[in-house]
Amino acid sequence: MARTVIIGAGQAGRRTAEALRDLDPEAEILLLGEEAHPPYDRPPLSKAVLLGKDPGNGLFVRAPDFYAGKRITLRTGTRVEALDLAAKQVVTAAGERIGYDSLVLATGARARPLPVPGADDPRVHTLRTLEDAQAIQAALLSKPRLAVIGGGLIGLEVASSARQLGCSVTVLEAADRLMARCVPPAISDMAAALHRGHGVALHLGRTVRRIEPRPDRLLLDAGDVQVEADLVVIGIGGIPNTALAEAAGLAVRDGILTDACGRTSHLDVYAAGEVARFDHPFFGRQVRLEAWQVAQNQPAAVARAICGQAQPYDEIPWHWTDQFTWNLQVFGTPDPELELIRRPAGEDRLTAIAVDAGGRARGAVLINNGREATPVRRLIGAGKALDLAALRDPAVPLRQFL
Amino acid sequence: MAEWHRVAALSDLSLEAPLGVRIGDLQIAVVKLEDGVYAINDVCTHEYALLSEGFCEEGRIECPLHQACFDIRTGKALNEPAEVDVATYPVKVEDGAVFVQVP
Repeated sequence: MARTVIIGAGQAGRRTAEALRDLDPEAEILLLGEEAHPPYDRPPLSKAVLLGKDPGNGLFVRAPDFYAGKRITLRTGTRVEALDLAAKQVVTAAGERIGYDSLVLATGARARPLPVPGADDPRVHTLRTLEDAQAIQAALLSKPRLAVIGGGLIGLEVASSARQLGCSVTVLEAADRLMARCVPPAISDMAAALHRGHGVALHLGRTVRRIEPRPDRLLLDAGDVQVEADLVVIGIGGIPNTALAEAAGLAVRDGILTDACGRTSHLDVYAAGEVARFDHPFFGRQVRLEAWQVAQNQPAAVARAICGQAQPYDEIPWHWTDQFTWNLQVFGTPDPELELIRRPAGEDRLTAIAVDAGGRARGAVLINNGREATPVRRLIGAGKALDLAALRDPAVPLRQFL
Repeated sequence: MAEWHRVAALSDLSLEAPLGVRIGDLQIAVVKLEDGVYAINDVCTHEYALLSEGFCEEGRIECPLHQACFDIRTGKALNEPAEVDVATYPVKVEDGAVFVQVP
């Protein structure tokens, strides 16, 4: 009976185990997680958990007895210290050696620290784990003045949650616009208006140089902007957890390098989820994607490869964020250099489609307009030249282009 | 006791264009398909979102937030992230009016 050991019991680790079980009723599956909890999805952390709302099964997706029922051996609180690829074993912190036939690295990422003086103050947080979210949630109860460093998805979701709880919120972003890595400038501008409209103080193009801890407050120095806060949350991206892979000699470059099926540079070793930098047919290059979609579905490609049914992971990229009144969804690559065709669909509702010089849809942004998710995904997938004059007319329904 | 509630005129419904209605505290999506009119609970079983705001095709409705799909005729959850089916409700059409029965 072949044994697969999965290191990392987050969403990608869970999905690898589940997909493998679906493909192979006989496989022995061992899921090792460093965290104390069974696998959980992280999207609710910056939203429902911070708001003190019940995240329902959006957090712990599976009931506690699910794993045993699927004959998946889940070991939480288990840290792996080293990989012995020659012996096909992993070595835990307790010194235990566990043999494998196939090994999956689903070690995820960690919050990128801000390398400035004062960032180690206990009132300065990052948000990655359930404990991080619970600590921020507890701190938000006293309605502190919150400063968020980083105007990306996590930072803006934290800002939105904290404002809804009645905190005063300042966001400092080093780039000259919000969410610069994932939406075009026109959408960044709309997001800035959304946040300002809800009372968030935004400072764009400002880099925090130091945090000065005082007994009763924190002083953030961003050059010509000085911000006083009681609580700071840093959201400036993630760093993939590649130390184990690197030490074992796997090919690593801001992520564990894999092919389109999740196979690393070493036989029988795979990488799943956001730690993997994989060949992606849609991009035509290697990418590392920190998104729920990738943690959810790329592991199925890994499981297939383990079972000798290799088939590339090639989904059209998709991610979403919820901020104030917005559900924002991004599909494909709506890069800034593409033309953005805006199709307003009513108050606070928009479909925007990014088209290349050949008139082909390459990306799309939906604001509160999820009913067009499938149509835009199909438009992008079809990759054919569109009648742009018609596309510019929001009265012409998208299905007419499919 | 289960009661019938008038929710719309049949002429208000177009094919595969869901209509969100409220009966008391219940939010219900009413959808006209080729073989009749169906009613399901409008709230996605994954996270709060109204299915009537979602894309509808071939008897399936897609959650506008996270793209979980449900079978409109049976309420069955068809793909992740949804795991739990949505409730379905009996529908009748009389004199051009659509009625939904709720518990």
